Amino acid sequence: MTTTITRGLETTGLAKSFGGVHAVDNATVAFHHGKVNALIGPNGSGKTTFFNCVTGMIKPDAGSVSYRGEDITGRPPHRIARAGIGRSFQLCRVFPRMTVLENLLASVRSPTLPGWLRSARQRGDIERARELLMRVGIDHLEHAEARDLSYGQQKLLELAGVLMTDPETIMLDEPAGGVNPALLDRIANLVRALNAEGKTFLIVEHNMDLVMSLSDHVVVFDRGAPIAEGSPDEVRADPRVLEAYLGS
Amino acid sequence: MHSVSDPRPGRGRTAVRTARVVGLVALVALVAAFPSLAPDSFILSVGVVIASYAVLATSWNFVGGFTGYISLGHAAYSGLGGYATALLILRADVNPWLALALGGLIVAALAVPIGIASLRVRGASFVIVSIALVLILLLVFQSWGSFTGGSNGLRVPRPFGDDVLRPEQHERFFYLHAALLAVLLLCWWAIDRSRFGMGLKAIREDEDKAQSLGVPTFAYKLVVFVVSAFFTAIGGGMYALWFGYLDPIFQFSILVGSYMVLMSLLGGIRSLFGPLLGAVIVGYAMEFFKAQYGDTQAHLIAMGALLALVVLFMPDGIIPALGNLVNRFRPKAASIRELTAEELTVQREQQEVRG
Repeated sequence: MTTTITRGLETTGLAKSFGGVHAVDNATVAFHHGKVNALIGPNGSGKTTFFNCVTGMIKPDAGSVSYRGEDITGRPPHRIARAGIGRSFQLCRVFPRMTVLENLLASVRSPTLPGWLRSARQRGDIERARELLMRVGIDHLEHAEARDLSYGQQKLLELAGVLMTDPETIMLDEPAGGVNPALLDRIANLVRALNAEGKTFLIVEHNMDLVMSLSDHVVVFDRGAPIAEGSPDEVRADPRVLEAYLGS
Repeated sequence: MHSVSDPRPGRGRTAVRTARVVGLVALVALVAAFPSLAPDSFILSVGVVIASYAVLATSWNFVGGFTGYISLGHAAYSGLGGYATALLILRADVNPWLALALGGLIVAALAVPIGIASLRVRGASFVIVSIALVLILLLVFQSWGSFTGGSNGLRVPRPFGDDVLRPEQHERFFYLHAALLAVLLLCWWAIDRSRFGMGLKAIREDEDKAQSLGVPTFAYKLVVFVVSAFFTAIGGGMYALWFGYLDPIFQFSILVGSYMVLMSLLGGIRSLFGPLLGAVIVGYAMEFFKAQYGDTQAHLIAMGALLALVVLFMPDGIIPALGNLVNRFRPKAASIRELTAEELTVQREQQEVRG
């Protein structure tokens, strides 16, 4: 059905329970590297927990996560970020009392200890940040505090912030949530353009129109594990998917 | 090392910069002149106390201001710094100034495991852990009388000879504290503008988010925590050398830690000079209330009322509140720019809807 050319993000037997609830239950998934992958499923099917296990925010109980053939299970989030996986958060998270520009500069690190004390406002970094802000279309707001931005603008800011770390793989948790149609278009176009430049996407989303129009590969979750995967058309026709969504 | 400053409208920016330089020069001049302006030895000693508070509050603000981790137990480090300095002089016959530096380094070394243990928890849990440490140290230093002097206290030999009289002592220690404070402010300023500082502020805003963007949050927190403990210990040691007497009940007191927090919050933890301003106000108010009501607990009630007022009306502290006030009277260039920016968004949004 599918051929994975490059090994990208993969999980094997990933599991995480909260008390008696098996949020993620023996999930084995291989996402297609270089493509736009979507992760869909009913509410409570474990998508966000899966997301958090992959990005290191939660330590899985069992199983493993690997990225490009390297085991990254249980690594702290900043090291997973450094491995090339960027992520956004459900409901959008920015640094509210920092300016738009500072939101982007905050992720710039120096590898050496003396470099820590270099000014955060290096010309090169600022130029890069401005380019990204221009790309998402909020460059005119660079001196505004992030908390003063509209929700849609904050979503764009979050995306620009993720891009600032120059990730190879970008995981977006509900990018369409609470966003107006015009902005949704802008986000979808950004995803397409970035994918064309070689970025892999993994998108958790409930908006089926967006999922179907945007993604190359869809993985359907139910009760903490994938129940189906394939192209949008294949998934749409799969009876197991319909059952999971419409309930039994 | 090029750095680009914020391109706010030129006239306003120069005015702000000039005002800052004038303010800084005035502050330095005031500090330098204070001992000769002070009418008597008592006022001079109040000046030393306030300078000491300013040192402690500014040291606290390395953790509190940058990371937002509110430690109520920073008295642990000032107390340890004081005792380390005193014990090195008394038991190992170390030169007082060397003892002060060594004391700071010992406390910094101790702060590494303490930080590793306590910085794992956030919010209220971190506050509780920080308080627990002070209470443990209080018990240890009270009980281990043979080494620490216990509840009888510990007399710290004066670093300047007996021929140096009281007012002269006060004056020297006032300048020493002021110099230490200047170093602290310089360090805080340097971190504030640095990449490290930007990462720390990201932790204050949203720690998970910062981590997901690749900020090594734990390492950052630990480094700034140790720096804060080091400076707090030097501040505590300096106080011990000046005051000449240590008692566990005062050194390891929740109240001392609370004052550091109160002063910083009052002035503004996001501002370089916030803790200093807070220390001047709280320190002066405390001495005033003590003078008014004698040795009762009334000054604590007054402090509590002050804290309540600040939290209610100036949650960000005095300096940001004043800043907002000044901005309101500034030339309107800045707000016009914001207007155009909004209009621009609307225009773009409209264009996109049409296109």
